[in-house]
Amino acid sequence: MREKLNWSDMRSLKLSKLLTYSLIAMLVVAFVCIPFISRWYISISVSNSFIKSDAFIPVCVMLVICDIFGLAAANALRKLIANIGKSEVFIEDNSKSLRIISWCCIFVGLTFTVFGLWRLSFFLGAFFAFFMGLIMRVLKNVFEKAVSIKNENDLTV
Amino acid sequence: MAIIVNLDVMMAKRKISSNDLSEKIGITPTNLSILKTGKAKAIRFSTLNKICEVLKCQPGDILEYSDE
Repeated sequence: MREKLNWSDMRSLKLSKLLTYSLIAMLVVAFVCIPFISRWYISISVSNSFIKSDAFIPVCVMLVICDIFGLAAANALRKLIANIGKSEVFIEDNSKSLRIISWCCIFVGLTFTVFGLWRLSFFLGAFFAFFMGLIMRVLKNVFEKAVSIKNENDLTV
Repeated sequence: MAIIVNLDVMMAKRKISSNDLSEKIGITPTNLSILKTGKAKAIRFSTLNKICEVLKCQPGDILEYSDE
């Protein structure tokens, strides 16, 4: 598929960069529009929940928290892609970025779990966030090992 | 580290500079410096072979074990 499209690694990286910046822009726009998003979500969602009170404020709070973690993760992703662009792949900085992304996903999962009390459907979001956090954590472990192997290889004369 | 690299001693004995040695054994001066300062984590047999060939010495003249 890649050969058919004749895409170089650099072009692929440019696409990733573009998508990351789009994600950051979307998160910023979403942050500004949180009250509208909350109202729209409450109007379309089924109100199965443990807590029967109005969900507007909880959904707003949840979106603010998730947006902040989302921005932190997107920023770490931006740094990661910038380093890859500089051909610095297996470095401490990149495993740190993956660690940040992993923790952001886990915290988003926790936030969804707590606010699942107002809307049960948030538990599904929590599951996906935890799953993503776990994948990123394993990736981080792989990167850490690769960094240590690379360091050893660099110091082999 | 338990292994001590005595490359600088051997180089002084043979009166050879770092640049000359690195050129003759085919490694970069940076890598030679890593080896000389004891920062290296490993040495390839091929590198050791070339060093011994150029300096006309035995591996034991370059590497020394110390239990301290």
